[in-house]
Amino acid sequence: MLNFAMPAIQRHRRALSYVGAVLLVLAANLLALLLDQQLGYARVSMVFLAAVLISAVGLGSGPAYLAAALGFVSYNFYLVEPRFTFGIESEDIVILIVFLAVAMLTGGLAGRVRDQARQSRDRAQTTSVLFEAGRDFAALGEEAPIARRLADGLAGAAQGQAVVAIGPEILASAGATPSAGLLEALRTCEVVSAHLEGPDGWRLRGLWADGRRLGAAAWRPGLMQSEEVDQFRLIHVLLDMGASAMARARLGQAWAEIEARTRTESLRNALLSSISHDLRTPLAAILASATSLKTFGGVFEPEVRDDLLDTITEEAERLNAFVANLLSMTRLEADALAVQPSAFEIAEGLDRVHRRYAPRWPDRRLLLNLPDAPLTGWGDAILFEQALTNVVENALRFSPEGGEVRMAARRTGDMILVEVSDQGPGAPEDELGLIFEKFYRSPSANPNLQGAGLGLSIVKGLMEAMGGGVSAQRRTDGSGLIVALSLPEAP
Amino acid sequence: MSVAGDLLVVDDEPQILRSLRPALTAAGYGVSTADTGAAALIHLAGEPCDVVILDLGLPDMDGKAIIARLREWSEIPIIVLSARDLEDEKIAALDLGADDFVNKPFAVGELLARIRAALRGRDLRLAGRARFRSAELEVNFATRRAYVQGDEVRLTPREYDLLRTLARHPGRVVTHKQLIAAVWGPDASVDAQFVRVLVAQLRQKLEENPSAPRVLLTEPGVGYRLAEGDDA
Repeated sequence: MLNFAMPAIQRHRRALSYVGAVLLVLAANLLALLLDQQLGYARVSMVFLAAVLISAVGLGSGPAYLAAALGFVSYNFYLVEPRFTFGIESEDIVILIVFLAVAMLTGGLAGRVRDQARQSRDRAQTTSVLFEAGRDFAALGEEAPIARRLADGLAGAAQGQAVVAIGPEILASAGATPSAGLLEALRTCEVVSAHLEGPDGWRLRGLWADGRRLGAAAWRPGLMQSEEVDQFRLIHVLLDMGASAMARARLGQAWAEIEARTRTESLRNALLSSISHDLRTPLAAILASATSLKTFGGVFEPEVRDDLLDTITEEAERLNAFVANLLSMTRLEADALAVQPSAFEIAEGLDRVHRRYAPRWPDRRLLLNLPDAPLTGWGDAILFEQALTNVVENALRFSPEGGEVRMAARRTGDMILVEVSDQGPGAPEDELGLIFEKFYRSPSANPNLQGAGLGLSIVKGLMEAMGGGVSAQRRTDGSGLIVALSLPEAP
Repeated sequence: MSVAGDLLVVDDEPQILRSLRPALTAAGYGVSTADTGAAALIHLAGEPCDVVILDLGLPDMDGKAIIARLREWSEIPIIVLSARDLEDEKIAALDLGADDFVNKPFAVGELLARIRAALRGRDLRLAGRARFRSAELEVNFATRRAYVQGDEVRLTPREYDLLRTLARHPGRVVTHKQLIAAVWGPDASVDAQFVRVLVAQLRQKLEENPSAPRVLLTEPGVGYRLAEGDDA
């Protein structure tokens, strides 16, 4: 049943205020009698006027009119000659009529002022409730907190309990645990302009925004609480605001998802194009060399043939290293990298990397400084070499022609530190911590020298998997970067 | 100057230069290399060169920018090295004035064939030749007639314009955009689908088996190419 009428509680309260007016006039009568008998003072119309005014200011215009009428009768009955009758002597009738007129007028005016004051107080309260709700809704970006805030606001407005149900997942309640019957009613409630009477005195309304049903809300006023038309309006405006805030949150979420997808997409494209470049360049060299040998093998000098065969070998090794990196990355991603630590000689790994990379970059100088005492690391020799390879290759790639890349190893405490320093552009101080992040591509470095931003992130993953770590610092003696790998020393 | 011509290979990957040089030299070309766009432009401004082989990913500048700069003053044939999946990049390079492309990785024979086609196309342009002739097809530019195995085939004006555009650059790829400009006019807003339809019509008339074309070849995603002529 749709209901927008004045409820019983409110009628009850209205009646009470009329009783109050009657009591006030009775009190005025007592006071007038007292004044009359003790002081012989019979001109007490002011006392009744006071009762009318108090009724007007305290109880409203209706009770004030009642008080004026009762005051008129009492004044006439008790105090106007002939006393204790309702008869009126001719000269007193003027006083009585003037009293009635003044009482009616002042009572009516004061009552209206009171009613207006109350209305504007209610309106101010409504405004501030709506303002606060609007502010909170705007600050909350997600549906669930908005639903909670709406339930709180609704309970406050109804001065009772409230439940808000959005879709199958979000259920917010204030002051009550909804019963199964109420939940079922909420699930099916669709009305939007008014509300339904639900079970156990609950009132329900659907929540709609942009022509779509988001959910429903229910509220139940407190027991001793009156309900007024203003309050109904407040509740309905609150519900509309909540619904549109939730619709906005949904749009915001959808937008954020689209943005995230676009970001992932562009990241994936960068990664794919970089992987495709890193795979294709060695393949192109291998294929070109092999087909050259096939077509022109007979006319090539032996040195040329050897050089092409060397290219094929080196590029195949490069591909192999790249595939190893891809595999490590996948394993690190899946937390599936199981390190079987064992003792191994650090110097050997450095030497192997040096022997492999020094000839590959003839226009850079790759230098190796080994300490006199042997350094024995604790970890996986192959993974360590892979990490070192990535760092060295990075250093060579960013070095200028004729630049120097230095590899050195030493002991600090119970860790072994392997440092690779280059004479490249280095990195700004604020990027030093970021270069080991996956997919990090420095905005300050040449984009064509950078890969997918995977190499150093794999280094970090590998070293940490072996109980070590990696860090970077700027060279103090000129431009360039020092990357330090740390590894536990063998026990 | 070498017998076959002088080449400039622009690539920043040393191993690519290293693997290409022997075969190109053995094929009779003089080979110069550059590993940056700036070095390439400096070389081209001062040295004789017949064909530029250009990798689009260079450290100092975008390969497409080099094409645009070069085309401001030179008609030298440019062959672009690119990846198969970077169609947009290839099309942009071709529309900027590159003559052809080779997908990485490639067999050396493929690159040599493209170099030959580029050189021949340049010679044809210089010679102002009045006709194109291959084993199966002949196009007479003066009379606007086409012959298959010696028999004349009747072509609509648009079919002829499309065929002529391809035959003017035999063996070279021509992009959809370039074909549209040649057939419908430079300002036409015509979908590439129209080109596809026109090519299908032409194939019906030119090819022995239109579903397995030997004369009018498709470069997927990029454009079309006419099989090379034999009278160059």
